[in-house]
Amino acid sequence: MSAFLETLQLGRTFGGLKAVDDVSIAIQQGELVGLIGPNGAGKTTLFNLISGFTAPTSGEVRLKGERIDGLTPHDIAQRGIGRTFQNLRIFPNISVFDNVTVGAIGHENIGLGSILPWQKAKSDRITQKSFEALQAVGLLEEADQLAANISYGKRKYLEIARALAMQPDLLILDEPAAGLNETETQHLASFISRLHQEGRTIILIEHDMRLVMSICQRVIVLASGRKICDGTPDMVQKDTGVLEAYLGVDE
Amino acid sequence: MNASDTSHHRWLWTGIILTGLFVLVPLLLSLAGRSYFYQIANTIMIFALLAASMHLVTGVAGLLQLGHAAFYGIGGYCAALLATHFKLSFVVTIPLAGMMAGLIAFLVAVPTMRLVSIYFAVATLGIGQMLHVITLNWVPVTKGPNGILLFGGMKVFDIDFSKPVPAYYLVAVIVAACIYVIHCLSHSYYGNALRALREDDQCADAMGINTPRLKLESFTVSGFFAGVAGALWAHTAGYISPADFNFNVSILILSMVVLGGLGSLPGSILGAIILIGLPEVLREFKAGDFRNIIIGIVLFGVILFQPRGLIGEVSALDFIRNQFGLGRKAKNDANKTDGKQMRVGWL
Ligand SMILES: Nc1ncnc2c1ncn2[C@@H]1O[C@H](COP(=O)(O)OP(=O)(O)O)[C@@H](O)[C@H]1O
Ligand SMILES: [Mg+2]
Repeated sequence: MSAFLETLQLGRTFGGLKAVDDVSIAIQQGELVGLIGPNGAGKTTLFNLISGFTAPTSGEVRLKGERIDGLTPHDIAQRGIGRTFQNLRIFPNISVFDNVTVGAIGHENIGLGSILPWQKAKSDRITQKSFEALQAVGLLEEADQLAANISYGKRKYLEIARALAMQPDLLILDEPAAGLNETETQHLASFISRLHQEGRTIILIEHDMRLVMSICQRVIVLASGRKICDGTPDMVQKDTGVLEAYLGVDE
Repeated sequence: MNASDTSHHRWLWTGIILTGLFVLVPLLLSLAGRSYFYQIANTIMIFALLAASMHLVTGVAGLLQLGHAAFYGIGGYCAALLATHFKLSFVVTIPLAGMMAGLIAFLVAVPTMRLVSIYFAVATLGIGQMLHVITLNWVPVTKGPNGILLFGGMKVFDIDFSKPVPAYYLVAVIVAACIYVIHCLSHSYYGNALRALREDDQCADAMGINTPRLKLESFTVSGFFAGVAGALWAHTAGYISPADFNFNVSILILSMVVLGGLGSLPGSILGAIILIGLPEVLREFKAGDFRNIIIGIVLFGVILFQPRGLIGEVSALDFIRNQFGLGRKAKNDANKTDGKQMRVGWL
């Protein structure tokens, strides 16, 4: 059986810079995989390639065996990949609830005809999915507030809720813990493992090594655009290549 | 969301608005007894529809539309020509004018939707200018600067719609119906999808929102309603000329939307009432040439002290920052994608 998501010799150059270089990864259904690497390693670029934000210069992306590279982001989103962004990208001037509905609206592929009375079932599903997603992240109380007015930590959960409302088969989270304090990070870690236990397939980019090592069964390491390690947290921690990559950058 | 409470309010407001529109205002107008006042009332309603249609595309979907008068003009000329050349009943010309304007809006949108914010705005500006030049110079059809006179023939079932009272009701019914549709579009999940475009179209795309399609749809629908407004103008004024649809008119409509508040439909309508009504009030008080200055000061004050307009959703300043690529959203864009791959385009 082929993997749920695979990239095959995926590459992307910016000018002369190989931001992602010949990266092949395979994610099985139901896995929670950590993606780590020093700053500028190409993690976000790899996510952008998977979600259609950036076109690859070489290689392929396959979801459930079908090629998705070259598709628009909304096509890919509708095929079941939901994402969050490293720099929060919520919609500030609309309510928390309305933010979340956008994910559900995308899933239902709403168009001009959707205001017609006989399309009501669609809107009801959107309402329901949005409330479920808000409930899952614990933001029901804030539903009516303007998204710009809730705290940074809550906005992070809002972004995850919006992605959950897309009912994605694969959830990709780009540094969800960035900017959170110790306790908030712990809370997030248990939240992500709960999502995983509910059967979701998740790829998690994270800077916080402890977070990744504590909740992921498998960790992929990128450095300078290349995949340098792929294995259990234990394996990765003992890998000399990984140590070098991290030390090399930290100095 | 919180069901019974808001729906209660909604019925109350609907009742107030409909009574005002169909009972109180006509009553006041008949008491005043000057046909000129009917004309002002019609103009306010027509501009309320223009502002509402621009609200959809600019206030909600976030596409800065600087050439709205073009679609208003296409509707106006289309109705005038169908009525004078082809002797069609005015009743038929109104939807046809809307469809023609919607069709042209669609054709304009297909190649320009891929343009990013401010470039799109400049393209719409060009469309507005182009239409103005065409109406001025295509003399055999448009009669150029002389304009077109529409005479008589507004009788249906023995009601003469060129008389003030029937004309008022005609405009009121059509404008109310159109604004109701715009209300349904902007206060629904469809409206939320459009708001997501305004806030951050790339991010909306990543959520599965088909951004090019939604932009195209909202632009076309907005053009359709502007065309209907143009037809109403042509028939109620009985005369149209290129000056009715020039750049100043586009800016006037935009000012209504900004004054009332970007993203708020009642705001846009309020903006139309103020910017058409205020000059007339000032005229009554013999403010003469100070009228335009006073209006300028009102607009300037609103932008400075109340950037969200009277009841808006988005600050006009943030909106403009986004259009020029200076907003938070734009900074993210620069980080996260290469220009070539900004897949907000149509083709
Ligand atoms: N749009 C872009 N244009 C040019 N260079 C880019 C662009 N996006 C990313 N890069 C470069 O690609 C490299 C990888 O960046 P990124 O994927 O953001 O790394 P990470 O997320 O691992 O920190 C960096 O050197 C970055 O400067
Ligand atoms: Mg990154």
